[in-house]
Amino acid sequence: MANPKVAFFKFSSCAGCLLSVLNIEPVLLDVLGVIDIEYFIMAKRDNHEGPYTIGFIEGAVTTPKEALELKKIREECAILVAFGNCACTGGVPSIKNWSGMTQEQLTKTVYAENINDPMLTSIPAKGIDFYVKTDAYLRGCAVDVGEMVELIKRALKGENPLFRPHSVCNECKLKENVCLLVSEGKPCMGSVSAAGCGALCPSLNRQCEGCRGPANDCNAASLAKTFMEDLGLSKDDVVRKFRKYAGNTPEFSKGAEAAL
Amino acid sequence: MLVEAFVLPKADLDGFAAKLKAGYELIGPVAKGPEFVFAPIDSAADLRLDYDTTILPPHKKYLAPPKETLFGFSGPAAKTGEPAPAGKQVLFGVHACDINGMLSLDKVFLGTYPDPYYKARRENTVIVGLNCTEPCANGFCSSFNTGPGMDTGFDLSLTDLGDKYLVCVGSDAGKALTAGLAPATDADRIAKSKALRSAQEKIKRHIDTDNLGEFLHQNVENPVWSDLKERCLACGSCTNVCPTCFCFAVKDQVDLTLAAGERPRDWDSCQYLEFSRVAADHVFRPDRAARIKQRLYHKLTYFAQQFDGSPGCVGCGRCATYCVAAIDPVQVVADLRDNPGAESAVKLYTPPAKKVTPETNPWEPLPAKILGIKQQNYDNKTYTFAFTDPAVQEKYTYDNGVFNEISIFGIGEVPISISSCADVKGSFDHTIRAVGNVTNALDKLQVGDIVGIRGPYGFGWPVEEMKGKNVLVVVGGVGLAPLLGTIKHIANRRDEYGALEILVGARSPKELLFTDEYEELRKIPNSRLLLTVDNTAGLEWGHNIGVVTTLFDKMSSKPDNTIMITCGPDIMMRFAVRGLLGRGWSPEQIYVSLERRMSCGIKKCGNCQIGPIFVCQDGPVFKLADIQGLPEAAL
Repeated sequence: MANPKVAFFKFSSCAGCLLSVLNIEPVLLDVLGVIDIEYFIMAKRDNHEGPYTIGFIEGAVTTPKEALELKKIREECAILVAFGNCACTGGVPSIKNWSGMTQEQLTKTVYAENINDPMLTSIPAKGIDFYVKTDAYLRGCAVDVGEMVELIKRALKGENPLFRPHSVCNECKLKENVCLLVSEGKPCMGSVSAAGCGALCPSLNRQCEGCRGPANDCNAASLAKTFMEDLGLSKDDVVRKFRKYAGNTPEFSKGAEAAL
Repeated sequence: MLVEAFVLPKADLDGFAAKLKAGYELIGPVAKGPEFVFAPIDSAADLRLDYDTTILPPHKKYLAPPKETLFGFSGPAAKTGEPAPAGKQVLFGVHACDINGMLSLDKVFLGTYPDPYYKARRENTVIVGLNCTEPCANGFCSSFNTGPGMDTGFDLSLTDLGDKYLVCVGSDAGKALTAGLAPATDADRIAKSKALRSAQEKIKRHIDTDNLGEFLHQNVENPVWSDLKERCLACGSCTNVCPTCFCFAVKDQVDLTLAAGERPRDWDSCQYLEFSRVAADHVFRPDRAARIKQRLYHKLTYFAQQFDGSPGCVGCGRCATYCVAAIDPVQVVADLRDNPGAESAVKLYTPPAKKVTPETNPWEPLPAKILGIKQQNYDNKTYTFAFTDPAVQEKYTYDNGVFNEISIFGIGEVPISISSCADVKGSFDHTIRAVGNVTNALDKLQVGDIVGIRGPYGFGWPVEEMKGKNVLVVVGGVGLAPLLGTIKHIANRRDEYGALEILVGARSPKELLFTDEYEELRKIPNSRLLLTVDNTAGLEWGHNIGVVTTLFDKMSSKPDNTIMITCGPDIMMRFAVRGLLGRGWSPEQIYVSLERRMSCGIKKCGNCQIGPIFVCQDGPVFKLADIQGLPEAAL
């Protein structure tokens, strides 16, 4: 039986998630034994058109052209995966969505007053599921490649991967890390952010920034209140925290709104 | 009798630790930044016996670790048998709260269906306790009599008496470790009592435990819970650090061959939305306030109801310490006591006393072959199974109404009720809708394929109590599957039972199950079969239209000398039960079959709880009178 065909695509993003695909050395050859990578501009010269079994999309959609391309890709992929935080929620590019400026003002501020290039047609940054049906999400900035391998395995078996969307605190406590928020007073977002990263940042004594987006049914408004009332963060700092990686999500919106 | 006691000069602690290390892995409290954790130690110099508390409770970390592999598999066969022998270890310096937490976990893991993995570790672990002469800041152990000193649960206990430890013997294994120590004097014993009395007086945090269970049952709707919902982050830290929280999730892992892998269990938390999630994304406890309530009620009363009065909270204070939102059980109970709901008569739950001790590993599914597959309707199939080992199949018996756990290795397990009648020997049936990962995989299997099955689990329909009485069966949709065996049981012993009336409801004629058996059912003497659908979906339909309770006006059954048994969606059973109660039926004559996420089936994983009930082992069939009025049992 032929291996399933897999494609990697990139929209508005830093390419870090795609780069991390190449970092799975211990299992890379095993993975390549069960899938054929048909399209991966960053990693290979010889790329082929669809249809594909699995399409991984990195990046947010920030132009009408990207939105059209995405819809075409959707038609070519049996399983479409939002690959990394930008594709899941709009990610870091979505910070611009709250600049308060019109898109025309933004263009003129970022580029030049008199510029009139039809290429520059920025629209609010969104995750891919704003435009197309999305079958699975690999969260994180960057993605956890272990989860990517897990998703490939589950897809090959025809299963829903059912990643458990619980909090970073869960994985952090199991490592018996000293709690950065409770013990050290740092504004760690682990309690409302989705795990799967193995509590990577808190384990290195860095507070969680919420790059994997909200945990299931989390209570960002309560954490925003703790940040302001107990840790003394300013309103602006709290808003920026909740809009850094997943401001488009309803859960983190509530965190930002609680501060406003 | 006076407890045997010795003295250990602090100067000799290193030598004592070295002796322990010769025979055991020595695990004790060490510093981690400003906090403490239990970890393997090299010498007594690493020990921080002045620790206040640790992030994870030592007994939970080392007896029921956060992640544990139950068994490996390759293809459709499980590789189980006995668990690997556990290494000998000493947990050194365990506080009284955690020792009591361990005794509570013993009830969970060593009670019915003893867990061989926990048991192996427990039997190879020596507990050296440490009485708290300086109580920690957040503890409230004295409220539950679980500290600051310990009476039981240790092999040795230490008490700091300044320049020496008083060493009390709690077991023969402990006694063996005291060789060479000088016996304690009366003065030493008195010093211990004084130190512990003084420690007890220093504890400033208390929970008013007076009638706490009844009080909490009266305060299910207290506004305190909606206030906590606004604060709780649903992060689950409280359950991870809790010395008595035991719930876990089981999810198969496969390697890239997709055929071989292992079945691990990981600590889970009732604070997570996905904890009570089943296939088709149905979540049984979606409300965060209900989840917080479940945890605190479980700690403060349900645990004791479920496990012989053992404490579910030992007052260690960890959940309050590590809560970002500073939710503190001491404060929650005080707030409830300040604004109590109306006093009402409440009853606590008494689970059926039944202890099962299987000869083999209770986690081990045995290979069973698919003998037949029959399409029931557009999305249900009935599978006929028999264990591949004829001796296993020969011994396999079940009560009508109970369930098995069906495994597809590499994907997982699902609890499915048995739809055949126990009178049939040599095989058994499951009627299954392809709706989740496991059932979708099952849907692709063919006759002759092998799956893993373990069971049967739980209590079935009360066929003994029904003898000599009329029986009313009320069915909603797929609820006929667990009832069909009992209907046939009655048909096979027709003279032992009175009139039989079966009311079957479904959304539309397309959803009806076992339609080709209706003719047989109609032939049962002294019986009636009434059918209804919510809508006909454009199909020809010569029966009633309406929800199943509309048949109550047409049925012949009367409350006198009749037992009603029902299975269907929660909402349907709720209306059926209320409909009958309104017609003069009593909760003593109504039996319901409940469904939750019965992930393990053996009262271990905790996923299937409804208030104080474990659906898997206390049910799935319940007498309404036994559960009516319990929190969450909204029938």
